[in-house]
Parts: sequence; structure tokens; C-alpha cells
Amino acid sequence: MLIGRIISISELNVKMFLEDNAKVCLDEVLYCDLNGRRHRFEVVDIEENVISTIPFDSVIGLMKGLEVYKFSDKLDIEYSDEILGRVFNSYGEPIDQKPISSLNKRCVYDDIVTMENLNINSGLLYTGIKVIDFFAPLQKGYKMGLLGGAGVGKTVFIKELINNIYMKSKSSAVFIGVGERSREGKELYDEMLESNLLDKMSIVYGQMGENSVARSKAVYSGITLAEYFRDQKNQDVLLFIDNIYRFVQAKSEISNELKNVPVENGYPTTMISDISNVEERINSVDNGSITSFQAIYVPADDMTDEAVQSIITHLDGQLVLDRHIAEEGIYPAVDVFKTTSKAIDVRVVGERHYKLVERVLKYLTRYKELEEIIAVLGLEELSDNDKNVFYRSRKIRNYFSQPMFVAENYTNIKGKLVAIENVLNDIEGILDGKYDMVDESKFMYIGDLSELNIS
Amino acid sequence: MEEDNYLTRIVDEKIEKISDNSNVYSVGTVTGVKNFLIRVDGMDRVMFYEKINIGDKAIGYVSAIHENYVIVAIVDIKTPIIVGDMSYSTNTLFQGKYSNDAFGRIINIFGVDILSSKKFSSLIDLPIERPTIAIMDRTTVNRPLETGITGIDMLYPIGKGQRQLIIGDKRTGKTQILLDTIVNQKNKNVFCIYIALGKTKKEVKTVYKELVEKGAINYTIIVAAFNDDLPPVISLTPYFALSIAEEFMKSGRDVLVCIDDLKRHAEAYREISLLSNKTPGRDAYPADIFYTHSRLLEKGCQYKNGGSITILPVMETKGNDITDYISTNVISITDGQIVLSSKNFQKGEKPAINYGLSVSRLGGAVQTKELKEMGTQIRRKLLSYLERKSVYELVNEDEMSAELKNSFKEGEQILEKLRQYKFSTKTHQEMIDLFQDLFQKE
Repeated sequence: MLIGRIISISELNVKMFLEDNAKVCLDEVLYCDLNGRRHRFEVVDIEENVISTIPFDSVIGLMKGLEVYKFSDKLDIEYSDEILGRVFNSYGEPIDQKPISSLNKRCVYDDIVTMENLNINSGLLYTGIKVIDFFAPLQKGYKMGLLGGAGVGKTVFIKELINNIYMKSKSSAVFIGVGERSREGKELYDEMLESNLLDKMSIVYGQMGENSVARSKAVYSGITLAEYFRDQKNQDVLLFIDNIYRFVQAKSEISNELKNVPVENGYPTTMISDISNVEERINSVDNGSITSFQAIYVPADDMTDEAVQSIITHLDGQLVLDRHIAEEGIYPAVDVFKTTSKAIDVRVVGERHYKLVERVLKYLTRYKELEEIIAVLGLEELSDNDKNVFYRSRKIRNYFSQPMFVAENYTNIKGKLVAIENVLNDIEGILDGKYDMVDESKFMYIGDLSELNIS
Repeated sequence: MEEDNYLTRIVDEKIEKISDNSNVYSVGTVTGVKNFLIRVDGMDRVMFYEKINIGDKAIGYVSAIHENYVIVAIVDIKTPIIVGDMSYSTNTLFQGKYSNDAFGRIINIFGVDILSSKKFSSLIDLPIERPTIAIMDRTTVNRPLETGITGIDMLYPIGKGQRQLIIGDKRTGKTQILLDTIVNQKNKNVFCIYIALGKTKKEVKTVYKELVEKGAINYTIIVAAFNDDLPPVISLTPYFALSIAEEFMKSGRDVLVCIDDLKRHAEAYREISLLSNKTPGRDAYPADIFYTHSRLLEKGCQYKNGGSITILPVMETKGNDITDYISTNVISITDGQIVLSSKNFQKGEKPAINYGLSVSRLGGAVQTKELKEMGTQIRRKLLSYLERKSVYELVNEDEMSAELKNSFKEGEQILEKLRQYKFSTKTHQEMIDLFQDLFQKE
């Protein structure tokens, strides 16, 4: 049925004039055909008989007066076992050149977990990465944020987590690539395919070469897939989102083009509710859980950015990557002072672990102060106690660097997993002076300290 | 309410007109001139992005279609436009013009050979922008692109299909790295495109002259938009140049594209956006400034047919701060960055690479095994030296441990060996030989 005709066009906003008896709802998908190409639009605003829509892709070549028809009620995506091992675009269409035979589709904007069904009890989940297990241990059903400015290693970290957790578990996983590099997207697909690990993973890509509508929709489509594993298959799902900030960024672009009044730094008026709507879906219920890892880009290295802060509110734990640490050649470049987890609690990790974290942070805080003193006075002026703090802190700092499986190309060292027990023993040993005679450089890029061969 | 009815009636009338309109070309009247953005009334049937002639005064393209007028962005203007001028649609999208004779020349998006100010005789229409290259059409980046610069090829290597940012203050040798890399492609079967954005004519001519002298011009095209060109031209030029590159890539060629520089591009785009009443965001840039650069740089890839586009964009910074909005945006798009520091430049450490802040996300994946083993070890030694030097600088040499002393000695030697004067590129074998004595086989 004819719905209306186009009356105005800009890059992300196409307005249409409705036919007399046409009825449309928000989120409805419309289309028009031009020169053999189908253009689709989603309704975002209705005012009397003029509607505003956002185009699914480029509007180049569109004209005033083109006729628009209804495509579907709402954006939807396949909702069956056929999503396993498949790659979708933001609009729920497979892009890996294989057909899908069943058509169990489900709208991507579905429900939010109710308080009644929400499950918040869960056990610890170790990753084998020293710095994360020690400072910010995870629990099943946890939301972990990986924050960092441009080029400090968020994506490498996400890939290492996929390597360490997904590959060793029976859980299904969903990977959502939002506004990130297409090259990395293809590499992930190839690597999973080559190592025969694609069979329990579904991937959704809305990468940075695509327009903002595509980028924003990828998140909804991907979460719907994760909900399938959780609700229909009762599984513990792993959800990787790289990068959730790009979702807010894409929404800003759309919002600006719709001439909505922005808040600070051009972010959309609806930013906080947009983020909440998405994050509240990523939760665990009695029979299934979603453990999510969300990379969060920090624009202009500004941690106080409104979008970043609004996302952090939803997290159970955060790992912050820092440019200065990366500059010193220590990877993963984690800023341990800003890295936190709700699991750092005596009742969850136990007293020993808890106390050790406290001790280490105390040492490293003093180390930071000492660095400033040394820059002026040199090392000799320090008291013996401070000298110990200084040297041991540097060893601890170096110890938390770690060769990663997915970073072998940068380090030429095979990745290593370290059990949390060994981390605790090693840290205790360094703090107690057991390794005072070992040069600090020996602590770089190793697994646990048994590698040093000290009796 | 009365106004609403009025609007509805107008719209109704328009739509009626459109539906029974049989003429293909529509004609309009200029009703507003705002710098290079022209408001035109009466053009009912134009396509978004269609080429529009304003009499014989100017050429532009449709940048927005509104209920009862369109906005035309002007790209080329001969005489001033006044209200009342007639505008004519062309029924074709705005396209760039390219000629196969462009190698060795300086060209613009209109198909003009700028050195002679004449149009090329045989011109091909090329779309300014094409759809993004599909994820599944890309393959792994794993072949090295040799820059001939030791600090890059060994420590932060670049692969064919990689996007590697060159970032630094004014006068730190950014353009020189591009020139060295282009010159080093001689006899390596790589086409080069140098995109000059918002540069002075003098600067571009200097680049041209250098490339002629080094015998690199016959496999290079310079695509230029000068600082006095209209902002829409500066904004479109890199897309057009990459459209040319894509043409080559899809025929199986390797292409190297240098964009000098993206800061200027961002500024031109901001100018257009603010004049079109887009809401300013951080640093007054529009919200889609990220997408403006991301879709451009996503053209860089290793294509499934074997061809590739490698992109080296340049970004100018102020006060050696690489964490400003636009710089971090582009860093988050590219596959790594070579950071240049003015302090190193002044100390005479050339190329003035800041080895701590530089990154290659592909790393050893694009190196030979030998170079990778050596590169990772040398880089680790160098970074450890630079970090320890800043902490232990004041320590008495007698009190240093043997390990520390050795690290300092090696670090200084590495820095010395990395020094390289302009246009003195090295082969990979020469680099390996140079560092043989500092390398311990693991």
C-alpha cells in the first residue's frame, strides 16, 4: 500500500508526506525502489501528515516525490539455531553469502528483564590475565567495561578475552562490532573460522564505514541474538561489544540531523535513556546469563566525557587503559588505580586477595609520589623503606605486563595464562622482599614467577 | 493553524505538480546566497547530490532538499552569484573527472592538469564517493609496504592495505616521511597518489619538484585542493582521490595513498557544517566528523582480488598534543600511528619518531620472520631504555647495576642507528645488517 511521498532529503533525514488514509507507527520500516535499488527508512517522528525517517543507507540519487511503501512493522532478525556461526549486518541480514532457511524473526527492540526474573547471584570467573583477575575479577553475568583512548589496546584486550574465556567454555557467544574497523571484523571472522570456533558464535557488524543508522542498529540486533541463547536455550552467554561508545556516537549523528536539541558536546537529548534501554537488556535471568565485555572508547582521552560516564553507570567492573603506561611499553596498559570491580569484596574474593589488593595499591600510590621526588632529588636521598617501596613497586608494575595470545605479532612471545593462586603468591613474594635481588627487567612479559627459577 | 494549512496546501500543490510533471530537466531561481551555499527555489525534480549549473557562473551539487527549496553547494565559481540567477539541473549526479594521462601531473577533481591549467583531452567520469567496501570482500593484511625508514619498517611496520597515521606538530618531518615512502616504491609496482589538502601552491609545487628530481613522479599522481579552493572542494578531494585508487585496486593493483593533511580536511568540513546550521559538538565539529573520516579511511584495505590500498594520512597537532578530539578520532580509525616529536626533531634525531607513542596494530604480521624477531627485540630494548632513562637519569653511574648500565649503553646505540637522513632509504637487508650486533637470537 502506498504510504506517502518524499518531500525533503538530507543525509540522515528523509521526510515524507503521508497519503490521506495511511497510518504509520514509530519504528515502522518503509521502502522505495529507485533504479533497481531498494532504499529503506525507519520512522522516527510523526507530525500530522508529515513523517521523519532515517535512511538505512546512502540517500544519493533520491528525489522529491518518490513513492514510499511499507516494508515491515519493525526491524527484525532471525531467532533460531540458524544464527550459530553466522555473520549479520545491522539490519539482521546475513552477509556471509549463505542462505537462512527458517524465518523465525523477532523484533530487535524487544523486552527488558523484569526485576522478578533478574538474577544477581553468581560465581567468580577467572580470565588468566593477571591484572584483571587481581584488580578486577569477574563474575558470571557480569558487565565489564574496557575503557581507553584511541590506540591503547582495547580491541586486543577484547580479542584476548575471547581467546581465554570463549574458546575454553561451552557457552555460545555473540560478538557485536559497532563502528570499529572492518579489517578487524574480517580478521576475527577468519580466525574463528580457521580454528573451528565459529560454530557457537554469532556475529553482527555495523562497522565504521557504514552510516550512523547502521552503526546504531547493530547493537539492538546483536543483543536480540544474545537473548535467544539466554531465553530459548537457557545458556550462559558471552557477549562482546566492540565498541559501545560508537553506538552513542551514531545516535548523536542521527539526532543532530533531525535537529533535536543536543546536550553537552553535541550528544543527543535521549542519550541516557538510549544507553539504559540497551544496558537493561544485557542481564541475567534464573535459567541463563549474559556476561558482557564492552569496549568503551574515550574521546580525546577525556574520562569525564558525558557518554563515557553514562555508560560506566551500568557496569559492574571497569578496566581502564592508559596512554602513559602504553608509552612506557607495558601492555596491557592498565591504570590500576582506575580499575575496579564489585567483586573486590572480602566475601567474594576472600580476605587474602582483598588485603593484597589493598597493600599493592598502597605501594603503588607511594611509588607515584616517590617518582616526583626522585625527578628532583635522585634515588640516593630516599629512606631505606622508601627505596624498598620504589624498587618493589617497579617490579609489581612490570609483573602485571603479560604476553597475550592474540598479541604474539607484537611481542614475538607466546601468550600465557596465570592462575589466580600463583598471582597472589607472586605478589606476596615481591611485597615481602623475596625477589629483591632480581633485576626489574626480568619481570616483564612473563607468566608467573616460577619462570625466574629462584629457589 | 492557518499557517499549517497553508503549508499543507503548498506541499499538496507541489506533489501534484511533481506527479504530472513530464519535463526531465528542472529550472530554478536563486533566492539566497550564503557564502558557497546557494538557496534555489523551484527545482522540483532534482536528485540528492545532482550536479547543478547556476547559469554559466558556477557549478555545484544538491546538498539538501527541503520542502520548497534546495541547497546547492558550490564547487566552482567564475563570477559572483546574485539572487534571481537561473539554475539548471543536469539529471546526472555530481562526479569527478579523471584522465589516464594524470600520472606525473598535478590534478584536481575537475579533470584539470593544474601545471598547464588545461583540461586533459580524454576524461573519464568517476563517482566522488562509492559504497563502503564490504567486510567479506577484505582479506588479511600481511604483505609489507617498504618505506625504507628503519624506525618504521623494523619497529612499527606498515603492510599493504594498512592505514597508518603520521602525526606531529608543524615542522617535524611529516611530509618527508610520505616523500621517502613514495620514492622508495620505485620499481616496486605500486601506484602512488599524493593528496594535497588546503596546502599552498608553493608547497605542492615543492613536493612535485622533489618527486621529479628523485624520479618518482612517473608512477605518482598528485591530487590537489589548495587553501584558496572552496571548502566543498577540499572536503570532496580525498574521496575522489580514493575513488581513483579504488579503480586501480579493483583491477588488482597495489596503491599507496598519502593524505596531507586531515586536520585541514576536518576544518573545511566544519566550515560547511556550521554554515549549513548543523549543531556544533566537541570543539565545534559536527557530530558526524568521525564518520567523515572513518568512511574515507575504510577505503584502505587488502582486497580479495589481490589489489590493495594503503593509506598514510597526516595529522597536524599543536604543542605535541595527540589527544585532541580530531587526532584521537583518526587514531581510533587507523591501524596505528607514527608520532613525530618536535623535541626529537630539534635534538637532530631524524626521523623525529616518538617511539613510545607510536603503534602499529598489525605489527609483525606484515614483516618477514627475520625482521619481526629482530624488530620486537630491539623495540623492547629501546622502550625499556627510554622509560628507565627518565626514572634513573639522576642515578650515579657507579651505583647502577650492570644490567642497567648495559641497557643504557644499548639504548643509546639503538637510537644512533635509527637516525636516518631524508631520501636515504634502506632495504630490509641493510636494516638487518645494521642491527646484527645488538640482536641476541632467542
